[in-house]
Amino acid sequence: MSTEAHVGRLPATEWDGGALPYRVGHRKLGMWLFIVSDAMTFSAMLIAYSYARVSSDAWPTPFPFYPSIIFSTTMTLFLLASSFTMVMAVRASAHNKLRAARRWIGATMLGGLTFLVLHSIEWSHLIHEGLRPFRLAGEWAERWPQAPPLFGASFFAITGLHMFHVLTGVLYLGVVALRIKKTRHEDVEISGLYWHFVDLVWMFVFPLIYLMSVDFTPGAGH
Amino acid sequence: MSSENIRDVFRKSDLLLMGVCALMAAGFLVLAGFNAAEAGKLLTIDSLFFTGICLLLAVTFAAVPALAMHQRGVRPFYVGDEVPPARAREHVHFEGGTKLFLNVLLGLLVLTVIEVFLAYKHVPLHIMLTLLIGLSLVKAAMIVAYFMHLKFERMSLVLTLIPTLAVCICLLFIVFPDSFRAGALRTTKTEAVPAAAEKHE
Repeated sequence: MSTEAHVGRLPATEWDGGALPYRVGHRKLGMWLFIVSDAMTFSAMLIAYSYARVSSDAWPTPFPFYPSIIFSTTMTLFLLASSFTMVMAVRASAHNKLRAARRWIGATMLGGLTFLVLHSIEWSHLIHEGLRPFRLAGEWAERWPQAPPLFGASFFAITGLHMFHVLTGVLYLGVVALRIKKTRHEDVEISGLYWHFVDLVWMFVFPLIYLMSVDFTPGAGH
Repeated sequence: MSSENIRDVFRKSDLLLMGVCALMAAGFLVLAGFNAAEAGKLLTIDSLFFTGICLLLAVTFAAVPALAMHQRGVRPFYVGDEVPPARAREHVHFEGGTKLFLNVLLGLLVLTVIEVFLAYKHVPLHIMLTLLIGLSLVKAAMIVAYFMHLKFERMSLVLTLIPTLAVCICLLFIVFPDSFRAGALRTTKTEAVPAAAEKHE
């Protein structure tokens, strides 16, 4: 029998050699440690972006209400909803309702895919406007003449890394859903941890990248 | 009604044929998607024709393994009601019901709408930043506590993970105050450039 099967059923005292200080399986602990290190990566990137923005004389605030803010808010709502369906999948799996768990995971993947499609539309929109990692789009340079050309680099790097996390999350959930007969409950829970983390990161990317760059000029986006 | 094992029902040659057909179907599906993405306007006769033909071929090839498996009672995605032995041995600890999670989701949605609303208010930058980051921290705490289940884990796990992250993020902020004076330290100010260009004219 594996370690996970013993989790929660410790010997009478931990001095008897049954010490599991965290009372979680080693795989779940591993996912938690990965999440902490990944959170450090994302915070380093967001702090570097904030540093560049604060130390610049100006920074573009190019996002109009439509399409950018509407799109990104919808993406946030989809990601939050998919987090809810994922927690329902973990709950169904805890009660050994495998069919329901698979259906909830499918709903979660659908939410993630919708996020990816909406974000790709948003990316292609900005690229068509002429935004590149080290070049501002078309008329942005005239609207914000003192801004450094770093907007694209920070935007594409941070949202791109997050999109990559969403993509791997969808694939990971797909594998878990297909193998649900062979997995243990803890495996479903671990995939849930990863998915919620992807959602959590977006809770910081969304206000810092999008909401801090809202275009206030009247008539923007019409 | 349960599912038969695919290796018990079919001969090796049948499995090979079904595999080839499935691969062809997947290939035509990819081709249809590629055509739809690359053709420019999708709603033209040519584009619709090529996408439609690719989809038709994909369905035709997929029908071979699908019908064969259906006929022999093989259901690859079937999950029965019986609990697999690996799961039955497992001790599961899970708290929280649909109502709790729905409430958390509702709270997160409301906070998101408040954030978007705040972004359109003309408030000083540092107050806006404090409010947005504060609300995001509340949202992150809700996700970690309820969705990631950390509230129901042992305290030792919480005390290992959260302070580690907090200390490391604080360390990342050590050089941040430099950004406030970086503009003053720069030798060539960017606003000096247009003025110099005008003098030359």
